[in-house]
Amino acid sequence: MFSQLKARFGSSLAVGILGMIAIWLLGMVILPQLLMVDYSFRPNLFPSEIGGPKDVYSLGNYETLFSNLIHLKIFLKTIWSSVLVTALTLLVSYPIAFYLAKVATPRQAAFCLLLLVIPFWINEILRTFAWYIILAYKGPLNAMLLGLGFIDRPIRFLSGDGGVLIGMVYAYILFMIFPIYNAIESLDSNQVKAARNLGAGWIRTHWRVIIPHAKPGIATGCIMTFMLAAGSYAVPSLLGSPGSRWFTQIIYNWFFEGGDWNQGAAYAFLLLIICIGFIALVMRIFKVGLGDIAK
Amino acid sequence: MKSETILRWSVRFYIGVFFLYLFTPLIIMGLATFNDSRFPTVSPWKGFTLKWFSALAEDDAMWHALWISVIVAVGVLVVAVPIGICCALFLSTFQGRGKTFLYSLMMSPLLTPGVIVGISTLIFWKGLSVSGGVMLTVIAQTTFIAAYVMLMVLARLQRFDRTLENAALSLGATQWQAFRRILLPYLKPAIISAAGIAFLQSFENYNTTLFVKGYDTTLTVYIASKVRTGLTPAVNALGLVMISITVILAIVYEVKRRREQSIHS
Amino acid sequence: MDSSVHLDNVVMEFGDFTAIQKTDLKIESGEFFSFLGPSGCGKTTILNMISGFLDPTHGDVKIGGQGMRGVPANKRPTSMIFQNLALFPLMTVAENIEFGLEVRGVSKGERKKASDRLLELVALEGSGTKKVSELSGGQKQRIAIARALAVEPQVLLLDEPLSALDLKLRQHMRIELKEIQRKTGITFIYITHDQGEALTMSDRVAVMSAGKIQQVADPITLYRDPKTAFVASFVGENNGIKGCVTQLNNGIADLDCGVLGHLQGRVQSGVNVGDNATLFIRPEHFRLAAENNMLTIPSAIEEVNFEGSYLTLNANTQAQTSLSIQLGSHQYTDSLVKGAPVSLSYRAEDAVVIGGADHV
Repeated sequence: MFSQLKARFGSSLAVGILGMIAIWLLGMVILPQLLMVDYSFRPNLFPSEIGGPKDVYSLGNYETLFSNLIHLKIFLKTIWSSVLVTALTLLVSYPIAFYLAKVATPRQAAFCLLLLVIPFWINEILRTFAWYIILAYKGPLNAMLLGLGFIDRPIRFLSGDGGVLIGMVYAYILFMIFPIYNAIESLDSNQVKAARNLGAGWIRTHWRVIIPHAKPGIATGCIMTFMLAAGSYAVPSLLGSPGSRWFTQIIYNWFFEGGDWNQGAAYAFLLLIICIGFIALVMRIFKVGLGDIAK
Repeated sequence: MKSETILRWSVRFYIGVFFLYLFTPLIIMGLATFNDSRFPTVSPWKGFTLKWFSALAEDDAMWHALWISVIVAVGVLVVAVPIGICCALFLSTFQGRGKTFLYSLMMSPLLTPGVIVGISTLIFWKGLSVSGGVMLTVIAQTTFIAAYVMLMVLARLQRFDRTLENAALSLGATQWQAFRRILLPYLKPAIISAAGIAFLQSFENYNTTLFVKGYDTTLTVYIASKVRTGLTPAVNALGLVMISITVILAIVYEVKRRREQSIHS
Repeated sequence: MDSSVHLDNVVMEFGDFTAIQKTDLKIESGEFFSFLGPSGCGKTTILNMISGFLDPTHGDVKIGGQGMRGVPANKRPTSMIFQNLALFPLMTVAENIEFGLEVRGVSKGERKKASDRLLELVALEGSGTKKVSELSGGQKQRIAIARALAVEPQVLLLDEPLSALDLKLRQHMRIELKEIQRKTGITFIYITHDQGEALTMSDRVAVMSAGKIQQVADPITLYRDPKTAFVASFVGENNGIKGCVTQLNNGIADLDCGVLGHLQGRVQSGVNVGDNATLFIRPEHFRLAAENNMLTIPSAIEEVNFEGSYLTLNANTQAQTSLSIQLGSHQYTDSLVKGAPVSLSYRAEDAVVIGGADHV
């Protein structure tokens, strides 16, 4: 490892490179995660009790989740809703990605991509806030629906999970579109033509030719979207109501309201496990390796 | 042929609806800034006003949060960019066992929810008696922003012709000179882009920052807190200013990037 | 100055694979020396050992009598011209040429003088401020040469530098390279798979195959007196006919070639009566009619190709082997048609017998 770096960069630069990587990977990535896991298996104690007889490893913090039905419900809802967000986002994104990659002329595609990139650059909080205004009880959406006569009374969009789902699809759609776009773009257009030429209908062409080729992109998009949705704090805290809390909000409360970091760490680790599990599942379903992801 | 035409028009319709969906929220938010209403909305329209901009300008807490955000973003830039470059250099040089593992490890912060990055940083540094604040925010954000930098630099590095380095060596340059005079200038555009992205990512970050900020509120956290408590169209004014700046920067960046791409291809 | 290069019993191994078998070779000061061989024969490995990108597993490379083991590429008195030229794309032409001097801390004025002088040498005066991307293929080639010469190397290493050029330019650059070598007096070590390049430019050529030097000789000897079957068939066109040595007489061997009867050719040492051997006859040494003291191989014409200044024939012998023949185009007649019988004749002193029939 060192010898290859030294051969290319000389010893001092090689030491610097390895040093920086070590600081980052050990000090910021690996050790904090390990310590978080360690924390999650210990009870919440007073500083004086740490290291004392009560400071033993236990599954107590994990049992809390399964004994607290409200938390368990929110935990399962968060997973289910994140899957839903991922599926919805995929459904909305695929046609756009395909259009940009294979239907639009290069000029059109370049223009559309620029349009797409702009919201991507804008703060997630602000994007979510925009929906907060639209979906408000006295907001423009209700005003429009009332004006058109579709409804008699304003709808409380922000009281259930509906607002959260809409906001999340909006906030994470670009993490889905871009990987799929990149994947479809690398497909030789002649393959699409050939499939059409051989008499395959549009649906069959997509199912048999384009989607298999776009698999790594779809997998990346799904993983990113799920991870962002399940781990989102901003969207549910802005668009959710007290009755529609997200699991991240429970975690936050353990830290900053309940003051039980150990309990919070256990919940955080569970969230991480769910994300890792989802990544593993997606990679298995799409039969892609970690190397194909996030290219 | 007829079904093709229907298909084509429905695709166009879909694209139109999609972009409407993408931009309407931003436009409505912008418009709400100028509505003379105590609460940010466009319906009903109560008349045009600019007073929310002056309300914003007088908001000292906002200016303080902006200052914190800038300090954090510069800090992240200074730490994350060199780390990301080092990782990219390493991955483009090292061949052998464990490379895939290390690559996955370096990618892992991007696949970890931001709240978890924040939590683990908070816990780790608590053990060293460091509590939340600007420094922890910089560290926590660097954890995943360095991975973004790595990906961007690596993408360019993979197109680098390594015989150029050998040519420099063969002409008598030291490895450092070859790095400094040949590789670094080549990587410069990617490094500048990565630095821009790092700055922006840091500025916008909410999920991670929330856990490690301590009493140092960044602008994004400030906006979020304003939305939940004491919401007035001054928040829209702030949003509109930020959006305008980012849109201008985004367009400048994209146009520049495209131009460079068209020169090189 | 002594700028000889001595490959002192070098061996290069990569794990279990021996890239270069034990080689001892001395390249003289001021010589234009080529390594010729097919891709994968190890010639690039040799160049990398001389330039310092690799150190041999055993033995040592000596430049000007100095052992080079452990001396890195940037400390050796060599400079290299790469196959893809490797001009620095972000620098101007002058910056490229001056790079080697710059890293040595030579002052700006001196550098400018050197680059002007070198641009003149390669006939590109006044191009110093141009960008590399503005140059044509041939101009890039010359800048690469100028850049490598700027550091005043004792040995210039060239790794197939002409392979990216089109045929006409390639032939022109051969002359130019030879001319530059003559003017500068530097040792040139040239690597190529193109025998035309090796034969036209070099003082001596080493033919390589599978990590082993087959023969080192000047181009004419190489062509006339190949030492191994590989050299005989790799350098120039050749026809190989297998047989068994029945007689050795005054440097001429007599081979029993089965249905083709007894054929003769010049023989070198190391071949004994009773050995299997191969008789090599070059296409241009065949005649269609037997003259005095000529040997004949009765054949039938298979194919005739008129190529302008010359014509090539393929003929089938009674042993069902195909021979290729090259004639001056003035020898063309209407009787040269497919199926026509011809008595292919050659002089025994024009053919070469090389031991070991299993090579071909």
